[in-house]
Amino acid sequence: MPDHETSITRRQVLKTAALLAAAPMLGAGQPAAAQAPVKSTKVLDFQTGADVARAEQEGEVVYYSHDGEAGIAALLDGFRKDFPKIKTSYVRAQTGALYAKITAERSANRFVADVLQLSDISPAIDFQKKGGYEQYVSPEHAAYKAAYQSAPGGYFTWAGVTFAGIAYNRSKVKPEQAPKAWKDILSPAYKDGISAKLSTSGMQHMQWYTLRKLYGADFWQEFAKQRPKGFDSRAQLFDRLAKGDDRVCALAEYAGYTLFKEKGAEIDFVAPADGLPATPALIGVVNRAPHPEAAKLFVDWALSNRGQSVYQTQTILLYGSVRNDAPPMATGKKLSDFKLLFPSDWTDFQASHGTFVKEWNALMGL
Amino acid sequence: MDDLARARRFRPGPRLVSLLVGGAAAVLVLYPIAFLIQASLSTGDPQARPPDAYGLDNFADLPRYGHIFGNTVAVAVAATAMAIVLGFVMGWILSRTNVPGRGTLEQLMALPYYVTPLMGALAWSLIGSPSGGFLNQVWRALGGEAHLIDVTTPYGIAWVMALFEGSVAFVMIGAVMKSMDPALEEASQVLGAGRLRTMLRITLPLVMPGVLGAAIFVFAEMLGSFSAALVLGLPSRFYVVTTAMYQLVSQYPPQFPRAAAMGVSLFAVMFAMVYVYRRIVQAGSYATITGKAFRARAMDVGGLRWPLLAVCGAYLAIAVLLPIVTLAYASVQRLATAFPRADNFTLANYQTALSLDAVRTALWDSLLLGFGTASIGVLLMGFLAWMIYRSRLPGVGVIEYVLMFPQAVPRLVFAFGMLWAWLIFPIPIYGTLWLLLIAYLTVFLPLGLRTIAGVMLQIDRSLEESAQMCGASWGYRMRTVTMPLLRPGLIAAWLLLFVASVRELGASILLMGPKAKVITPTIVESWFSTSTELTAAMALLQTLAVGVALVLLFTVARRAAQHPGE
Repeated sequence: MPDHETSITRRQVLKTAALLAAAPMLGAGQPAAAQAPVKSTKVLDFQTGADVARAEQEGEVVYYSHDGEAGIAALLDGFRKDFPKIKTSYVRAQTGALYAKITAERSANRFVADVLQLSDISPAIDFQKKGGYEQYVSPEHAAYKAAYQSAPGGYFTWAGVTFAGIAYNRSKVKPEQAPKAWKDILSPAYKDGISAKLSTSGMQHMQWYTLRKLYGADFWQEFAKQRPKGFDSRAQLFDRLAKGDDRVCALAEYAGYTLFKEKGAEIDFVAPADGLPATPALIGVVNRAPHPEAAKLFVDWALSNRGQSVYQTQTILLYGSVRNDAPPMATGKKLSDFKLLFPSDWTDFQASHGTFVKEWNALMGL
Repeated sequence: MDDLARARRFRPGPRLVSLLVGGAAAVLVLYPIAFLIQASLSTGDPQARPPDAYGLDNFADLPRYGHIFGNTVAVAVAATAMAIVLGFVMGWILSRTNVPGRGTLEQLMALPYYVTPLMGALAWSLIGSPSGGFLNQVWRALGGEAHLIDVTTPYGIAWVMALFEGSVAFVMIGAVMKSMDPALEEASQVLGAGRLRTMLRITLPLVMPGVLGAAIFVFAEMLGSFSAALVLGLPSRFYVVTTAMYQLVSQYPPQFPRAAAMGVSLFAVMFAMVYVYRRIVQAGSYATITGKAFRARAMDVGGLRWPLLAVCGAYLAIAVLLPIVTLAYASVQRLATAFPRADNFTLANYQTALSLDAVRTALWDSLLLGFGTASIGVLLMGFLAWMIYRSRLPGVGVIEYVLMFPQAVPRLVFAFGMLWAWLIFPIPIYGTLWLLLIAYLTVFLPLGLRTIAGVMLQIDRSLEESAQMCGASWGYRMRTVTMPLLRPGLIAAWLLLFVASVRELGASILLMGPKAKVITPTIVESWFSTSTELTAAMALLQTLAVGVALVLLFTVARRAAQHPGE
């Protein structure tokens, strides 16, 4: 090989480093073209575009997630069982704080995360625009409708869906007085005894948006008169409902209900006929991941039936799968058994986030 | 050869050492603060780093959070008053009276501080929530109406904060009281003053720097209190500055600039407090340890010692026993309820807690960090206390103000400054335990400094000056005069720093990396995402681990702390 092809000057190294460092910023706002699916290989019973040998050589995957510690542990345990040579570690925070952390890291050229899962589509789209995701079209995408993937595909995918109805404590609310439709949460009988989530929640944004579309902006103004109590997580909502500290939960996620029902809580779930607001958990490979092959392998695994069965059967997670061939959840029900409410216009939904935060903070007394 | 001889003769003098240590400590504090102030002035995209536009809009927007500032000050004042009264009374009983079992009680009395505020808040939420609280369940079962107590009111929150975040007042005031010459109290009694009059007219004025230092510290701690307000405040829609800021930075898009402005606005409060403290300390002489030898003796309070013992017992029962028993009871249930049911008991919560990698590694990391922070911190903060209150070097007043900064900013907000500051630092410590160590050393500077300063102000300068007159070098004086006299304060500071580090929450939440986790944020995450019962199990495991570590450390410390004069 001629010398001139291999010799690299210091200037070239510096130039390359500067370009690499600027890559995420340079990518910001640039619409990426759709990418063809990568060459895939079969591992266990799923398809992956990752080089499994290299992934094992990398030996680690770092997962950033909004899920709780126990939920993350369940998911990572499942992955480690299948790939014992790959160690797992994670960072857990609320979606807003998690997003702030990863963007702060990247703006300082620190690349720690391999895989990111968020519970709100607004920051996911924002992260995509900032060039935060690697565009990786997983071979498992074949089992997912285009609606359940980023546009263009390959940035993030719906790893699962959680949805919410109404729940009440049976010892505090008589069955004949129990809410049956969304409008019933406005009943004065529940004043000072009703709970929902805070504006940190993607699920709460979804409920605010979809019910506003159904019943108008007045609906939430009426709800404010109930003096609802706001909390960060479904676990807190159901913990309080089960103990009778609240009589009714206006944002009762099915997953939380199942978990506490299993523990023997005297609570009931109501699925209003108008539908149940639903929101996806969005997973994607992070751009400039320190363990890129392990990251791809993890996402492929998470989107495959193996990973989806963890999402669907671990009651601490209990996300419904949107795979075309998804089996029922641990409760025996499939997503299709419920009437789910999604925005018809995702752009409008994303644009409404600022109004939601302002309105909801005021509603919760913040 | 001349150079070598000169180099051998070179001993860094106090001025140079002070400049280096004081400068380094100031940088530790100011570096992240600069990022925080920068963020508070950001008026463009709240996520842009560095900001793309500057202005005062975030400060102008603060009046709409007036009710939250009002809540914060009201709760902090109430909690501080309760904590200082409790701390003073307990400190006086255990340091100055002959109450039975004093030695054991003294060690037990520091236990509320070892019970993390989060654990205390969780326990009291289980005890005193209006509907599900155990006490209120029993009350209703006995025929009572509604509820007997409600810990979710502002007074309830202040009570829980005073019990668990204010217990530091006892340690700080107690350390000062222990260093006081009892001859002064004895003289008062000989001259006919009663015990109460002696306590109010002699003991209280003499320990005033310690009490003031503790009051300022505790008030600032209450301003930055997070756990109690989070657990008990949200159910009653009662927000304080920290919980409001937490919501602002947790939502999308995170409102850092507004949260930073809220934090920065607390600087003014803290500056005023430090200013008052310095004025009071400078105005009077509080030296009680002089060249005259004394032996720490307890005052004979006669038959009063039994009621005093009961007061101590009641305090311990409410602040330690009741929360631990409550959490232990909740941790073995599927759904915590006051009335036991065979089918409700389970050990699954402990199985789950112990199976979580995060708990095992986080516990060990926390203990390791606690040991490192306390050991390095005592040396660093001991020296800084000497420098500020003893050295008469120019500019030490400014350094004191600077070092008090971390106390003025809730740690959650300070952590954002640290996150931004250390992310761009060229040495890659981000995401490691080293960053947490630096963070703890920074945020606990006021704690260590106040504790040691309280004792140092009681040591008459003449002791060091006598040694100097006898020809002792600065280093020799420090080693043989200052440090031995400071020993009680240093030991108290070590223990406080150790426990404060292990239970730290606000700064750790943001600075933890995937391979550098600590236990308290892990427990908070559990509370957010699982259940009270599992969280109770995790909190008890943490307490157990801290307890075992402290027993080992106490054993070592007791051997090391054998005072030569005793």
